Amino acid sequence: MLEYSRMKSIGIQVQGEDRRVVSGVLEDELYAMQCEIIVNWPTLTIERVQTRMKRFTTARCPLAQVVFPTAEGWKIDSQLEGKIKKELGRQGCRHMAILILDCCRSLARAEFARELRAAVEQDSHLDRKEFLGDFLGRHSELTQFMRLQ
Amino acid sequence: MNHLTTVEMIEPTLWRIVARSDDNLFSGEVLLDVKLPALDIRHARLNVKHDILGLTPDLSSAEGQLIGVRVGPGMTKIVRGVVGGQEGSERMAELVLEAMEMLVNALTVPELRKALNMGGTPFEYEEATSRVPLNDVVIGEETVRLMAANPRLKDSCAAFLDL
Repeated sequence: MLEYSRMKSIGIQVQGEDRRVVSGVLEDELYAMQCEIIVNWPTLTIERVQTRMKRFTTARCPLAQVVFPTAEGWKIDSQLEGKIKKELGRQGCRHMAILILDCCRSLARAEFARELRAAVEQDSHLDRKEFLGDFLGRHSELTQFMRLQ
Repeated sequence: MNHLTTVEMIEPTLWRIVARSDDNLFSGEVLLDVKLPALDIRHARLNVKHDILGLTPDLSSAEGQLIGVRVGPGMTKIVRGVVGGQEGSERMAELVLEAMEMLVNALTVPELRKALNMGGTPFEYEEATSRVPLNDVVIGEETVRLMAANPRLKDSCAAFLDL
């Protein structure tokens, strides 16, 4: 019998040219939470963060929700992981902070995957590593953040 | 992105954790068998099922190096050194760490459940008035302070921080 399980699922919606809405869900034996984040894609700026602590263990947990909008205005770059862990995780809730981080990382990976898929449809012999180099040339701030390896 | 981690006791002192992550670019699965009471890894399997960019190196030597690593303080640095880094896979290192952390959670659940049963207080919050309230009781402030002294929980999250 399972003693513990955790599920995380993240989805991304394209809303027009420059808006992406990322939604993340976490469910486990103790906690349930969700977040929705609006990101401006060309500038990689977090515009809005909405969170809901669904199931939790202490009365302190839902109070964390006032902290998460702190991320509005932050950019998705190599500094983001540290800021999220320090300012959202330590001041708010580390589980939600990691979920928000996972959402941002998933968005970057999904945008790359979307561009890659379109390029492969145009050229089935496309050099994927070269294409990755071109993508990171345009978004150098994502090189470490995307965690491709 | 979908991510699932399960923790199962396969023998009275042997735990099996399986963590799997899938997205459009990568799919990987980690299996760890961890033995009580030292919480040392006895078996590790790192399986990259799908890597569309072909960037993940062979991790078979890392599997061997994980044997004996203990779930506890210092594990992050060790796992990042063994599985991650320039020559390794940060994705798989994250999965290994997630698996190890979920074992800690599994071991902590009985303590938190006990605290809810013994030191739980009715929860009054706007969500509690919703049509389907999810939190009838939470761990009371006094019990939170007591639990924060537990080494496994101390500073583990903001609720148990600086008490």
